[in-house]
Amino acid sequence: MLLESVLTGAVRGGTSILYPTLGEVISERAGVVNLGTEGCMLAGALTAYAVGIETGSVWLGVVAGVVAGAVLGLLHAFMVITRRANPIATGLVVTFLALGLTALFGQDYVGQGVNAMGPVAIPGLSDLPFLGPILFDHDPLTYLSFAAAPAIWWVLFRTRAGLNIRAAGERPEVLEAFGTSPARVRYAAVVIGGALAGLGGAQLSTAFTLNWSERMTVGRGFVAVALVIFAAWDPLKAVGGAYLFSGAISLQLQLQARGWELSRYLLEAVPYLTVILVLVALSHRRRHAAPESLGRVLA
Amino acid sequence: MTATTDTTDAETTDTDATPAAPGPGDAALAARAWMPLATDIGRWVAALVGSFVLFGLFVALRGVSPVEALKAVFESAVGDTDAIGETLVRATPLVLAALAVTVPARAGLFNIGGEGQLLLGAIGAVGASRMLDGAVPMVPTLAVMGLAAAATGAAWAGLAAVLRQVFGTNEAITTLLLNYIAGLILTWLVFEPWKDPQSLGQAYTKELDDQSRLPVLWGNRVHAGLLIAVVAAVAVWFLLSRTRWGFRLGVLGGNAEAARRAGFRVGGLSLGAMMVGGALAGLGGMTEVAGVEGRLRPEILVSYGYTAFLSSWLARHHPLHTLWAATLLGGIIVGGFGLKIATGLSGGAVEVLSALVLLGVLGFAQTGTRKAV
Repeated sequence: MLLESVLTGAVRGGTSILYPTLGEVISERAGVVNLGTEGCMLAGALTAYAVGIETGSVWLGVVAGVVAGAVLGLLHAFMVITRRANPIATGLVVTFLALGLTALFGQDYVGQGVNAMGPVAIPGLSDLPFLGPILFDHDPLTYLSFAAAPAIWWVLFRTRAGLNIRAAGERPEVLEAFGTSPARVRYAAVVIGGALAGLGGAQLSTAFTLNWSERMTVGRGFVAVALVIFAAWDPLKAVGGAYLFSGAISLQLQLQARGWELSRYLLEAVPYLTVILVLVALSHRRRHAAPESLGRVLA
Repeated sequence: MTATTDTTDAETTDTDATPAAPGPGDAALAARAWMPLATDIGRWVAALVGSFVLFGLFVALRGVSPVEALKAVFESAVGDTDAIGETLVRATPLVLAALAVTVPARAGLFNIGGEGQLLLGAIGAVGASRMLDGAVPMVPTLAVMGLAAAATGAAWAGLAAVLRQVFGTNEAITTLLLNYIAGLILTWLVFEPWKDPQSLGQAYTKELDDQSRLPVLWGNRVHAGLLIAVVAAVAVWFLLSRTRWGFRLGVLGGNAEAARRAGFRVGGLSLGAMMVGGALAGLGGMTEVAGVEGRLRPEILVSYGYTAFLSSWLARHHPLHTLWAATLLGGIIVGGFGLKIATGLSGGAVEVLSALVLLGVLGFAQTGTRKAV
């Protein structure tokens, strides 16, 4: 069944995009764009993979991947918040740094098999027709992502911490007047954003591709930054964005498998094209949804 | 949020324009004028040395002697005339793609699509050469290839500008995503319609005929593309600092609202800036296929668009400074080849070096730290 295969693939492949998108929602809500998301993902992917192999524990690997993403997030935060460097340029430099570091340290891991994070079918639910394979036969990090999006929404919109994050992005002077340092809040948001991107990378290498190769994220982190606009800076809508992109990948793969005439290289461009098209369609409505401080950078 | 442009960008480009405070005496004034330059150079040196030290540390962590690694990087990039030639060859497309960042940046726009525009230019040039099919002498052939490359590059960048203008879609994001589509178009052409039937394992297109090759100027490798790059840098400098158009781009980049009130056609200016940029990057793609590669392969120019973006920032968006900035980062790319041969480390590792230099320059080499927003 085409639809079932496409949706199953969308959820399985979407996890590694959903985490960085959620992370970037948090970061941008606090007023900081992080194009280094791509680099955080890449660092998370390699670190999780390598630590997974070296320690034999894939979970330790995942934790290490999260830490790697957070460290690069911290670097971005330091450059942008403390040193006042341009966020767009810094984000690309952070990504470049991750490209170089993962090329340097990842070389020996290319082609080594990781102790993979396999799918855990949920008894009962996974036997449901249609919904079972789509939702209840995945790796643990995918299940966690189902909970992460609403949890992040709740934190952002229902807690004091979330209010601080949003204030840092909308009206930092108000936050300051209430005695909270906007810079601190931003630091925290960007580091958490990097950590989530690292988690996405970790899921990509240990549960999805089960492999490490140089530049393996091929723009997923950049796509995540684009999807934040699609999602109107809302964690719940980010879920739709992530599955839209991975659904397009999954559809494209299914069409290839079914022997479609169109070239596979052109089909591979479809997911990127989809993101551009939805952004174009939504741009007008998104213009006023952006956090105020972002306006100066991401107009 | 409005469609206004980035102000931090304008600030960073103007750091050397800080007005001198009123002070006593000509000598003191002169000294004051030189002080920022001296501290600037000091910071530059610190950024460079710091980058090399940190890179050496990372290399040491991989169990390779940092001295040996850095020696390999230096020798392959500047060790002898061949090495210097190779560095200049790598710098050629970087200069052009860096100018492609500089021109839109003047108007407050981010062009992160150098990667795609380079590839589209290469495709346009090869397409033109295939159409002429060796029937025309060299000079007109190269001219047509150059025009085609500029046109395809400009169209690719213009697409992002039009989407911004009509729908308000952020150009940083669209140029970035278009890179991946451009890469897949190249791969498709190389593997399918333009594939050389002779190529077996590694796909490539038929070799360009002799009329479609840029002449070699110096040594074995340095080709006429380098001249194109230098002329382009001077032309962009002239355009941005000596013409009305350049002035208007500067106003637009500094304060979009002021530009609008002054009656400038903001849409046309933005589109023009992006398209001029795209045309320059397209030319960069042409110089690479016509001067170096002689054919298309899926792997050509990988990462060059991003490196060029960093070159433009390293030069603080000054068109003439992009010449040395691109040469420095081009030299680091060449150093990667040497590193790989001498130590067996991945050549991509030198991207650490480029990134560290940029971190130093973006975060620490600016005169004065600006106050919080």
